[in-house]
Amino acid sequence: MLVKSVREHIADGRFQRSLSLVAAASSFVSGLEVGYEHYKGSYSNLAMYTPVLLSGALTGAALAGFVSRRAARTAMRWISAVTLADGVIGFGFHIRGIQRKPGGWRIPVVNIVMGPPIFAPLLFGTAAYLGFMASYLRREEDPEEPAESGLQGWRRELNEGRFQKHLCGVAAVWAVFSGFEAWYSHYKSRFRIWAQWTPIVLAPLQFAACLGAIFSERAARGPLPAISALTAIDGGVGFIYHARGIARRSGGKKHWLYNVLYGPPIFAPLLFAACGALGMLASMLRREGQ
Amino acid sequence: MRRYRDEEDVDYCLVGVGSAGGVLLQRLAKAGFKVVGLEAGPFWDTERDWVSDEKGSHKLYWNDLRITGGKDPLSLGENNSGKGVGGGSVHWAAFAPRFHPSDFRVYTQDGVGADWPISYEDLKPYYELLEREIPVAGPAYFPWGDPHGYPYGPHPMGGVGNVLVDGCTKLGIRVCAGGPVAILSGSRGNRPHCIYRGFCIQGCKVGAKASTLITHVPEALEYGAEVRELSMAFRISMKDKRRANGVHYYDENGREHFQRAKAVVVCGYAIETPRLLLNSACAGHDSGLANSSGTVGRYLMAQAGNVVLGRFAELIRMYKAPPAHALTEEFYETDPRRGFARGFAIQTVGPLPIAFAKQMMVAKGAWGWGMRRVLMDYNHWATLGVLGEILPWPENRVEVAEEKDQFGIPVAKVSFSLRENDKKLIEFGKKTVMEVMRAAGAEEVVQESRYAHLVGAARMGSDPGTSVVDKYGRTHDVSNLFVCDGSILPTQGSANPGLTIQSLAARTADYLIAQGDKVFDSEERDMTPPPIRRRLAVRDTFAKGVPRVFK
Repeated sequence: MLVKSVREHIADGRFQRSLSLVAAASSFVSGLEVGYEHYKGSYSNLAMYTPVLLSGALTGAALAGFVSRRAARTAMRWISAVTLADGVIGFGFHIRGIQRKPGGWRIPVVNIVMGPPIFAPLLFGTAAYLGFMASYLRREEDPEEPAESGLQGWRRELNEGRFQKHLCGVAAVWAVFSGFEAWYSHYKSRFRIWAQWTPIVLAPLQFAACLGAIFSERAARGPLPAISALTAIDGGVGFIYHARGIARRSGGKKHWLYNVLYGPPIFAPLLFAACGALGMLASMLRREGQ
Repeated sequence: MRRYRDEEDVDYCLVGVGSAGGVLLQRLAKAGFKVVGLEAGPFWDTERDWVSDEKGSHKLYWNDLRITGGKDPLSLGENNSGKGVGGGSVHWAAFAPRFHPSDFRVYTQDGVGADWPISYEDLKPYYELLEREIPVAGPAYFPWGDPHGYPYGPHPMGGVGNVLVDGCTKLGIRVCAGGPVAILSGSRGNRPHCIYRGFCIQGCKVGAKASTLITHVPEALEYGAEVRELSMAFRISMKDKRRANGVHYYDENGREHFQRAKAVVVCGYAIETPRLLLNSACAGHDSGLANSSGTVGRYLMAQAGNVVLGRFAELIRMYKAPPAHALTEEFYETDPRRGFARGFAIQTVGPLPIAFAKQMMVAKGAWGWGMRRVLMDYNHWATLGVLGEILPWPENRVEVAEEKDQFGIPVAKVSFSLRENDKKLIEFGKKTVMEVMRAAGAEEVVQESRYAHLVGAARMGSDPGTSVVDKYGRTHDVSNLFVCDGSILPTQGSANPGLTIQSLAARTADYLIAQGDKVFDSEERDMTPPPIRRRLAVRDTFAKGVPRVFK
């Protein structure tokens, strides 16, 4: 009964509150991640504070969006857009950061691995984009039949729950960014545990499944949810591994702040899992134009 | 720790528990032999005995009387010989590159030096094993020699490494950042990861830097080996002309003891090993034990270790990283255009203030108030080192002098002179490093000539007429006397010798284990290569929490 109702809500695009919560959670998690990563970099550039402040603001706005329709359509929408822009600007800063490391782009592998995480700002921006999408959805309590909203084009399709391809596109770029992050940070620790290979293998599959789902409805109904489920599970297992990795560092839980800072990035696997969750969500949506 | 009585006939008596001795001790004990390791220095209690202080760490070196000479005399003591359990591995900077395949056939290839009785392929499995055992951190792809990757990830860069990377990339020289260095970049078992405090060569109190004191000796003790500290061996005793039966040594109070043993392994490094062999001269071995070829003490090698110092406008802070964390081996191999045989490596150095002051005293003549000003400027200086191959020459040797040490044992006299090839190599290396330093943006560049590492003086070879030991470290003259340390190296390459010394020790151990009792009661020399025994590696090398390495 509940499952059926959830599916209906998703298919109708009536899940603004839920997606706002998801956006709040992912913004919170990526805010923590960027907070300690930039702490590691001593906040040496003032711009390094912006993602931390923005993710806090977005978390707040998304929570407000959960409560109020108006907040969802105003604050959440615009703060999401600003955060997305901040991610793109941050991407530029990270490229410059790699270039400024000794050897710069002349030794790309060394400096991508050891320098600022190149795709992390874009991943941060993509997470914020969820809030932007949520701002156009209908709310759970809205009637099944969409009222005349006055929205046109992709906005209207979001509003009516017909945005499968759109969400697949988001999940596809998410898979690229998150997978690349996993690749170079696992490479840095030399694939010490075989499970470190799993996101490297799954990310391209997830990307391919999302891409396939954009072009074919069949791919969106079959392979997409299957692979997305694997990705989500893998991210969850990864979270456990990362937590264990932190606990196993010297000092373990006694020096938890230090070990969270310098140990395996605790929230990164959750962001990877979120990619799988998005894929599963996309598979339940209606396609554009239907 | 298990204790043996002097009169108990142990299987192996090792003289020296250092880099090689520690590995050998662990292997033999784990294989079930009764082993005693005599160590002239103390068994360090790292918390009590070591200090985070440059001057206070001088007791890690072999500071007993030695006499140095020749046209280019070596400075002995710090940076080239250790005393105490762990030996040199306690104060090495822990750079752990492999030798190149070409190092094993220098004579064939370049017409100088000597060929090794083994090839790179013989040693390669031991390199791979030891890199995992100690373990070595470095890049996933190391492009020189036989290209390979390292089990632990590279270290973050310090100021000096950044200078090297910067200078090299500007000149188009390939460079390797973050290793290879035997310092943990992630914790392992009960050893924490590096905390970048810079006190590597003062003895790593953290336990992140590998030394046999923490990697191999604990397991050796667990399997029943004895390490007898403060025991200074002075003579190897012979049962008859072909067989040794034990070692005479003094304890800390100067009392004489005799440890009986079925076989003796000398692991005393390039000065103490030949000194002990020469001091053990007896009827039938009049010019020194195992010295029928006259090569004991000869072909001693040190590497050119010129230090190039550059001043930068920005802060470098040399102390904030392990001294060893970046290098290039782009100039390692012979290049006929350069006009000399063999080559050199460029490595980060990063001295602490006292070492820096000594270097500046030589390099700039800094003294008095000038030295004060130079030292106040310490944080702006970076140091890179040449590590150049000096070829083995017979006149570079260890002899015994008339002078006696505190026990009354004749001390070693070391003569060292450079030949033409060495001088050209040093000149070229120095110039190249200065170019790198300037390319990185140094506004002032100075240099100090010095030498690093000591190997040779009991070299291995297949011809008993020109070498002291065979390819497994067994002396040609005495069938149950072995040498296992850096002194058996016929040539030295431009790589730091630590990893090679430990790999050779693991190989000798496999040979001894494969030979079993034949070593003790037969004079037959079985030269069949032993199988590699990966199970004898220290615990956890292949278990959980340990890196997977792909072949």
